Amino acid sequence: MSPTSRRVTVAAVALALLVTAGCTSAADEPDPGGTAGKAAPGTLRVLASSELADMKSVLAQVREDTGIEVRPTYMGTLDAVDLLAKGRAEGVYDAVWLSSNDYLRLDPAAAKQVVSQTPVMSSPLAIGVKDATVRKLGWRPEDVTWADIEKAVRGGGLTYGMTDPSRSNSGFSTLVSVASALSGAQSALTDADVRQATPRLTEFFKGQRLTSGSSGWLAQAYDRRGDVDALLNYESVLKSKKGLTVIRPRDGVITADYPLSTLASSSGQVRDDVRRLTEALRTPATQRLITERTLRRPVVPSVPPATGLDTTRRRELPFPGSRSVADGLLDSYENKLRRPSRTVYVLDTSGSMGEDGRIDRLKKALTDLTGDFREREEVTLMPFGSAVKSVRTHVVRPENPRSGLDAIRRDTEALTADGDTAIYTSLQKAYEQLGADDDTFTSIVLMTDGENTAGAGPARFDGFYGRLSESERRIPVFPILFGDSDRGELAHIADLTGGRLFDAQKGSLDGAFKEIRGYQ
Amino acid sequence: MKRIVAIVLAVFLIGGVAAAVVKGREEQGRSTATKTVRGVIGSEKAEFFADPEVVKALAARGYTVKTETSGSWAMEGLDLKGYDFAFPSSQAPAEELAAKYHVRQPLPRPFYSPLVVVAHRSAAEVLARNGLATVGKKGNGTLGMAAYLKAAGDDRTWQQLKGAEAHGELSGTLFISTTDPTSSNSGALYLAAASYVADSGRVADGAAAVTRTAPLMRKLISVQGAQQTSTDAAFRDFVSGVGNPLVLVYESQVAALLAQGQGVDDLTVLYPDTTTNSDHTVVPLTDEGRALGELLGSDKLLRGLAVRHGFRPQGAAVEFTAATDAHTTYLNQKLTGVRQAPVPASKVLHEMARRARGQGDSK
Repeated sequence: MSPTSRRVTVAAVALALLVTAGCTSAADEPDPGGTAGKAAPGTLRVLASSELADMKSVLAQVREDTGIEVRPTYMGTLDAVDLLAKGRAEGVYDAVWLSSNDYLRLDPAAAKQVVSQTPVMSSPLAIGVKDATVRKLGWRPEDVTWADIEKAVRGGGLTYGMTDPSRSNSGFSTLVSVASALSGAQSALTDADVRQATPRLTEFFKGQRLTSGSSGWLAQAYDRRGDVDALLNYESVLKSKKGLTVIRPRDGVITADYPLSTLASSSGQVRDDVRRLTEALRTPATQRLITERTLRRPVVPSVPPATGLDTTRRRELPFPGSRSVADGLLDSYENKLRRPSRTVYVLDTSGSMGEDGRIDRLKKALTDLTGDFREREEVTLMPFGSAVKSVRTHVVRPENPRSGLDAIRRDTEALTADGDTAIYTSLQKAYEQLGADDDTFTSIVLMTDGENTAGAGPARFDGFYGRLSESERRIPVFPILFGDSDRGELAHIADLTGGRLFDAQKGSLDGAFKEIRGYQ
Repeated sequence: MKRIVAIVLAVFLIGGVAAAVVKGREEQGRSTATKTVRGVIGSEKAEFFADPEVVKALAARGYTVKTETSGSWAMEGLDLKGYDFAFPSSQAPAEELAAKYHVRQPLPRPFYSPLVVVAHRSAAEVLARNGLATVGKKGNGTLGMAAYLKAAGDDRTWQQLKGAEAHGELSGTLFISTTDPTSSNSGALYLAAASYVADSGRVADGAAAVTRTAPLMRKLISVQGAQQTSTDAAFRDFVSGVGNPLVLVYESQVAALLAQGQGVDDLTVLYPDTTTNSDHTVVPLTDEGRALGELLGSDKLLRGLAVRHGFRPQGAAVEFTAATDAHTTYLNQKLTGVRQAPVPASKVLHEMARRARGQGDSK
């Protein structure tokens, strides 16, 4: 898939995500407050990176001081940039506050929407390694370079988790840092650097055991598994976890500087409110609060970073200077460098799916999703009613991606609604289908519009899950709430298997499917 | 060319009606009848016009000034109907605007500020040890532009410089971080100075001259990767300890920070031995606009306030030197050993910037 087509598909759902954001409430995610809402004096509707949820108490203080309320809508950086480029932030948002504007600046259409940008705080990308692993590797944290990390990964002594670079800025910064360091590029990355570094990068990404669409779920999945040695994320995120030695590689990092940005489309009054908010955030008192509460670094010289944040300098790795390099790198990662994913879509096609055009919505959502599948990805469609109706597996082969995608579309088109709802029996079958597999990212998506009415019950499924091998138990189920499905039932499945619940009752089915991509 | 306009427009309208307007209204109630004067200004002067003391001083002289900010190069693309003046941050865009609106010469140039390179002490000392700069005991020094350009042309890395190994952050290609030259004034002025030095002291006067230095200019920009769109953001990143070891900023930014009593950990200000001045030039569109422009340059109080914001008033340097006496550690008050590079005409500079950004070789 070309980077362009991928970006287009991401953009196509940006709005859907915007509407569903907040509805996909999982335990670890803050409630983003739904849609951006109407303009109101003194209230700023801010398109924000999800990590900024930890600013809640700081923003409460700022509100007390200035009367300005921030109403955030959380979105991944790349989706936000696409939304801006399409001009869809106009009149919907008053300001943009992402972890970094580096990617935004590469897109002239998006950059045009943003006017002044003021960094509010900073956090470098880092690797948090289990204290025990640091000892085992014999590392002195201050001396560790990206090459040392690569060596440990190759030797089998280090596995790690990171967020999906297409969904999350921390993942994207990780990718750029690793590619810059391992390619030996002395200045901004070029296409040639990426090509030349591909073999080393492929080895490096073999060590990746966890992927996630958000930093919050990544941390949860890491805790649950217990056998992953490290996490790559912003220093602030890693520092807030116990038992990790946080290392900023000596040969350079990329730093998020959280620029609060005004929009060209907003009124003078709104821009003035944004300016006042920016000033309030940059006062020494607020900066102290920020560094103490969030473990990010202050950006005014009079305030020292919170205790425990090492102040020795690091080289800042240059961010690619063109969209083609950035997108080319992303494309390589998704289609070549990362471990491929294997996913079973367990799809409710019981009789009730025939109502309200539900089956058509499912078909549309799945068909749209085919634009988003990566090369080497294995997709199994497992429609069920009273029992599993069919098991059809397709692989998106790099030499001919089209044929696999066409086959998925054909099978989707052939879905029909009839029968009862055998959720648990079908899930068991999905686990059997995937089996133990440590070379890919395996997961199950469960879409159902009703309660379980046939086959095994929840208790039997719990027992089944308990008897699975350790490696099979690592396969998470991502259930999607849809139609009349039961939240409690699906939340239990997500909790049991270490997945995450997505809500398409309030939002759209397309949006839920797309958001889950970040976890596959 | 279309693309330049698009990118230039990207920085259009930064900040909106500044606080000056709000404050100005308050003042209006108290002072005697004031004239409201509207202007489009470069963003680095927004704080000056928003300063309550500036508002007060202007009101006392009968002016309420309302400002909108815009990238200097973007002003050419704006409809300036209804405005009394434009106030870009250098002469080239000002001359373009003057020609477009048939403004009579001379244009008031109330203050200026040279471009400087900020660095931490460690980086400055490594440059000095390798013959690229001279640094005294104090927090300022001189950057040898010819030597620097030679090093940049040879893809010199920090690792190849003696003494860099002691500082982990000094690695990778040696370069000065600038703003995007196609949209921002300081990035474009950097190319003006660099191309002047690279072309043996000749000011680029057309396509042939641009072509002579194009490969080097392209290199200076492309190694940086993504660039900031405003000097303000670039300086703030430096102050907060993020980013490249060498960053191009206006001297006024450093001076204003020092005037606020804030310092930067082991800051060293390197004055390029050949640099360009940012000549803040008023383009009067009405008589009121001209009167205001002249007032900014002649009024003692306003000149003093400009100094507090780090600018150097035109003419006698006394005010600047007096006001910055406490900060001679960092500032080269008399610009000793600093030569001014003339700035190419706007069209030539645009073309140079475009090619440096790799936006094709077509005209």
